[in-house]
Amino acid sequence: MLPAEILTNIPLPEELNKKAAELLKSDERAMFSLVGDLNLSGRYAVSALIATDKRLIVFDEKHEGGVFTLPHSDVEEADVKRMYGNAVLRIKFKDNGRRLSIFRFTYSIAELADAVALFTENIAKGADPDEEFKTVEATFEKKKSVCPKCGRTLIRQGAECINCASKGKIFKKLAVYFKPELKRMIFSLALSLVTTTLALVPPYATKMLVDDVLKNRDAKMLFSLVFALLGVYALQHTLGALRGYLLRITGDRIVASLRNDIYEKAQYLPLSFYDKTSTGSVISRVSGDTSTLQAFMLRISQEAVIQFFLMVGIITIMFVMNWRLTLLSLIPVPLVVFGGRFFGKRIAPIYSKIWRRWASVSSVLSDTLPSIRVIKSFTGEERAANKFAAFNNEWLKEDRKAAVLSNVFPSVVTFLVTCGSLLIWAVGGYWVVYTPEYISVGLLVSFISYASMFYGPINFFATLNDTYQNALTSAERILDIIDAEPEQNFGEGRTINTIKGKIEFRNVNFSFDRIKKTLTNINFVIEPGDIVGIVGTTGSGKSTLVNLLMRFYDSYEGDILVDDINIKDIDLSSYRSQIGYVQQEPMMFKDTIFRNIAYSSPEANVEQVIHVADVANAHSFIARTPDAYDTMLGERGVGLSGGERQRISIARAVLKNPSILIFDEATAAVDSETEHLIQEAIERLIRGRTTLMIAHRLSTLRKANKIIVVDKGEIIEFGSHDELMELKGKYFKLIEIQSLSEKIREGKEAENFE
Amino acid sequence: MTERTYIENDNARITRGEGILLKVEMYDGRIFEDVEARRLFPVTGVYKYITLLDSEGAEQAVIRDLRNLTPDSRAVVEEVLGEYYLVPKITQIEKIINKKVKIIFHVITDNGPREFEVKSIYSDIKTLYDGRVLIKDSNDNRYEISNLNALSRDSQRLMAPYL
Repeated sequence: MLPAEILTNIPLPEELNKKAAELLKSDERAMFSLVGDLNLSGRYAVSALIATDKRLIVFDEKHEGGVFTLPHSDVEEADVKRMYGNAVLRIKFKDNGRRLSIFRFTYSIAELADAVALFTENIAKGADPDEEFKTVEATFEKKKSVCPKCGRTLIRQGAECINCASKGKIFKKLAVYFKPELKRMIFSLALSLVTTTLALVPPYATKMLVDDVLKNRDAKMLFSLVFALLGVYALQHTLGALRGYLLRITGDRIVASLRNDIYEKAQYLPLSFYDKTSTGSVISRVSGDTSTLQAFMLRISQEAVIQFFLMVGIITIMFVMNWRLTLLSLIPVPLVVFGGRFFGKRIAPIYSKIWRRWASVSSVLSDTLPSIRVIKSFTGEERAANKFAAFNNEWLKEDRKAAVLSNVFPSVVTFLVTCGSLLIWAVGGYWVVYTPEYISVGLLVSFISYASMFYGPINFFATLNDTYQNALTSAERILDIIDAEPEQNFGEGRTINTIKGKIEFRNVNFSFDRIKKTLTNINFVIEPGDIVGIVGTTGSGKSTLVNLLMRFYDSYEGDILVDDINIKDIDLSSYRSQIGYVQQEPMMFKDTIFRNIAYSSPEANVEQVIHVADVANAHSFIARTPDAYDTMLGERGVGLSGGERQRISIARAVLKNPSILIFDEATAAVDSETEHLIQEAIERLIRGRTTLMIAHRLSTLRKANKIIVVDKGEIIEFGSHDELMELKGKYFKLIEIQSLSEKIREGKEAENFE
Repeated sequence: MTERTYIENDNARITRGEGILLKVEMYDGRIFEDVEARRLFPVTGVYKYITLLDSEGAEQAVIRDLRNLTPDSRAVVEEVLGEYYLVPKITQIEKIINKKVKIIFHVITDNGPREFEVKSIYSDIKTLYDGRVLIKDSNDNRYEISNLNALSRDSQRLMAPYL
């Protein structure tokens, strides 16, 4: 058998383990194994790959004899071809260039297979197996980072599983928000007790009225009773108003606190969260779900407490008055309780669906309305309206189902409790008629009043489930954000004052999902002060490179170092404060121009902001607008042209005084005159700073002293402009095309051709 | 990029030119003729950072704080700014008629009585941190309530639902 401590994703099946051990030569060491879940025909089956220092041994029923062995020295190339829902490990043979798929698997082990491909390819090129094994080991370690309880991927091995650690009763978690309001709630509770007690007085007064006052025609007692009741009602409603006010305030404060927490938490969630979760869904949670919870909390805190005390008080009085009649009145109660549970189970998934449908409607709103220019330019108004109507109708369908259930059930409950009342009339009335010494008229009338009061709380708690399920769904959605893993600040506290600007990518691999690798084997070094142009076709991975440098995504393999320090080991805020990022589509907030520029440095004074606006060639156009720096920009910077927004974005970056600058196609969408202004601004800015410029304009690339050419996620060329032009490779072709299109563009502009 | 010229205290003498144009004589010998004064912060900083633009719109100098100029220079600059920026101060609100799609204001300002329409209370009526209320009408004209509490109680009551 192979050594027990061999590195593997899951233990090798015994049979394969034995066969592998038998195949091993005396001078051969088994280094790691990979157990797969598909055979080469794509059917679910157990397959395995064992990597030794000399060979790959693959067990698959589709190979001749069920096994395939391949010396590393026979390998020219090895890669993992990703397909839809599965992938294959492919080998290209050195001797005849033949390609062969040797191992097939689902995405559950795709990254491990990547490591295998790299392992065998590098050893074939002469690398030391033990050195290569370290990379494989690191990949396996990362894969092992799953929670042993729920199987959820952890951000690193040994990290706490938030899913398991904090998954308690949902409302127990929300209790944190109740704590600051405890005193107010206890006072309100005391008021509730008083008002409940007062509410129990009138039915008893009815008994006195019938049995004593009216029977004895005692007018004096009548008036005393009436005035006493007046006092009771006045006090009850005064205290009730005070209680209602206090509870409302308390509910509002709790929900405001919850909203703040959700919004704050949402700021620190990683970009990968926003890649998977629509902003509409997040907005729904902050606005809609908190309102649902608020309504529920008010209902719980106001009515539920009162109803509970009322129920206890009433049943006590009823038992004291007549225990037989009380038992009769309790007959419908079990039916109501079981009905409530049955209803709850049926309505919960419906409310979940309603929430998802509503989040989809919100998504459409937040997605399409800001893009109204696109809709209008492509006469898509009707399509947009139809799309919205379709989503809205889906919501309506689900809401109707809930409407049916949430109305049928209360009606059934009401019917049952009415039957209970009738039972009391029948039995109690019979006793009054035939055994008046046992039960008086006054007592029966009083009892019926109490009984009808009693069914009120029962009904309330039966229908509370409806609100409860709705609120539960909202609470789950809210806690989804609060419990979500924020961006990991591994290097928290380890701040850096200045960065010289050396950047190194070492064996970096990255994919957003498991289907397609976005970046493969990225290696380069940029020295401080270098101006680097990054070029490539659309989708080649240029923006992903800078996103990784900005630490917007952490789940990459390999290392990214700045000034020889791994960026994951630097405090996140400190690190990002050293980088100025000018995006292709500069985002502006709905705020003044001044505050949009000062966003990067809120403590900057007026003259600093004016100075950077100057550097960015923005001050002159700002000064000429009616409200100048007080100009209020619309959502997304409406009110400025693309070039003006870009220059404000550059001013924002200048204010930060960053050590590293990143420009993501900064002059992509502007005319050449504006481009010239922006280029001038960029030139002022980049002096002495390490600059990365994703660009396709020749004019931008000419400033760069190094060019990185990216194609299909790999760096295919790296060097100066002149070196790459001599190479006559991809860069040369890109420049030729660009030169031609620029000549045409300049020609059109010269003719003022629109 | 040349360094910005700041005018403050007595490092310049400002006199009136033709219309709303100004002549600035710096005490270092430089002269800027026919410049127009514009506020860089017309909403939040009426006295601070007044830029002086030439006929091409290029900035020649910036007045840091109007209040620190010599009295004569200050008076001249305030005069031209008063002509350029017409923002009447509302001293009394006579009535406000809410027609759902628009709100019609009848007011008395320091410029005389005025009637105007406001389209949206959300974007056209703003209360600033210093207590001023800025109103923009449907023709983009601006009005200001310098101090809401200084208005009569009736005026305050009429204005309250729109703040």
